[in-house]
Amino acid sequence: MDGVGGPRYTPRAAEAAASMSVLGNIGAGWVENGRMWRHFFALLWGVLRITPWPRYWPRTTRNVLARQLLFTGVEASRFIALIAFFVGLSIVVQFQYWLTKFGQTQYLGPVLVMTVVRELGPLLVNFIIIGRSGTAMAIELGNMKLAGEVRALDAQGLDPFTYLILPRVVGAALSVFCLTIIFIVVAFCSGYISGTLFGANPGRPLLFVESIFGALQQADVLNLLIKTLLCGAMTGAICCAEGLSVGTASTEVPQAATRAVVRSTAALFIISALVSLATYL
Amino acid sequence: MSTTSILRFENASLAAQPPYAQDLTAITLEVAAGEAQLVVTDMLPDGFPLADLAAGLVAPDEGRVYFAGTDWQARHPDEAAAARGRIGRVFEKRGWISNLDVDENITLAQRHHTTRPLAEIEAEALALAKQFGFEDLPRMRPALLRTGELRRAAWIRALLGAPTLLLLEHPLRELSNAAGAPLLAAVQAACAHGAAALWIAESFQGLENSRALFSKVWTLAGARLAAAKE
Repeated sequence: MDGVGGPRYTPRAAEAAASMSVLGNIGAGWVENGRMWRHFFALLWGVLRITPWPRYWPRTTRNVLARQLLFTGVEASRFIALIAFFVGLSIVVQFQYWLTKFGQTQYLGPVLVMTVVRELGPLLVNFIIIGRSGTAMAIELGNMKLAGEVRALDAQGLDPFTYLILPRVVGAALSVFCLTIIFIVVAFCSGYISGTLFGANPGRPLLFVESIFGALQQADVLNLLIKTLLCGAMTGAICCAEGLSVGTASTEVPQAATRAVVRSTAALFIISALVSLATYL
Repeated sequence: MSTTSILRFENASLAAQPPYAQDLTAITLEVAAGEAQLVVTDMLPDGFPLADLAAGLVAPDEGRVYFAGTDWQARHPDEAAAARGRIGRVFEKRGWISNLDVDENITLAQRHHTTRPLAEIEAEALALAKQFGFEDLPRMRPALLRTGELRRAAWIRALLGAPTLLLLEHPLRELSNAAGAPLLAAVQAACAHGAAALWIAESFQGLENSRALFSKVWTLAGARLAAAKE
């Protein structure tokens, strides 16, 4: 209003305020996203920092780790092997067929390592673990939080970070690594056997194995370790964080599970892309 | 009787904010080793924060709360967690981990904080269970146990491992008056061995004949505790 010292209202000022509001909202979104990822990385860093110390692994925490490995690793192995069998059947056989057709069989090892070991194996296994175990983790912790069980643990001196988060993150990372190894071995085996059966002429078994091992480089091993251990741990950290972010309403639990899947998948693709780029550079 | 201070509230205040439904203002009380005190809230509170303050789970807005001579706020989180392992507690509600059996819940804190053999922990738990009318440790999920039995199972958990401090929130709720006698005897025995106990109840029901156990009785007057018996 004029005469009282406040800002004068004009259409242009209103337009500028609206633009600033849009920019502000966009900025606030980015700031919020930044905070969220910082929280996930802080959680992951906290786990990495205490994992080597035996005092953070009392028998109760080791027990939770064993259960996590059983659920995420052992119980998922048959499904992973099944997927790997079909991947071998469809992809490995095709590579054998086309490379033989073009007389480029010497590239079979490098192409298979590049496709299955570097990219497809870690990506598919991580993806399956996010869908199968990540959601379960987020829902379980969300329900525990809602039922006051996290508080009950805290009241008995069981730090939720070491009792709930640490074994789940470590369990997810180790499971993804082991399952990826199973995936790669089964995919190559099924690829070789199917290639033989369908006349793709994969050559002698020893030659096939040698061509793969011969194509493996240090960078591939490092690539595999990062994409399995780091991505698996990140999935565990994100799913635990989302589960424990549940407040007071039961409707928050499925929302937390959805967020856990979306964010874990985003983290998986970002980390995978960055590691792949770093491998090729 | 030892006079070592186990639990001390020094002008502690806490405003009622979820999950707490009750303000507490300028609470000053001290429970020494070998001593039991009773707080009668005269209501059916959901979210009475006294036990959480005593266990250092929530920091007072003003004042301080000491456990075993050290302010909870001055402890490193790892140290605070270890200290909470020396507190036996009957929770006002909930307090059970649903994906563990009741016997696993009972022994959880001892398995976590100590390196005692599991057989030894279970033998102690079984002895307490028999004292409280169970034939064996309940080996089923908490959801499958009746409320009264679950409350008695909570007594076993609270007393297991000779805790330094007992925080008993409405331990006789959902039970008949006579059912409380074994617990009162067990608390008396624990205090005789140097434990301190803070018993929170909504009324004197079931405790009429046991007032001698408590060296002090407090009643809730608004947001303050008033001494009803010195």
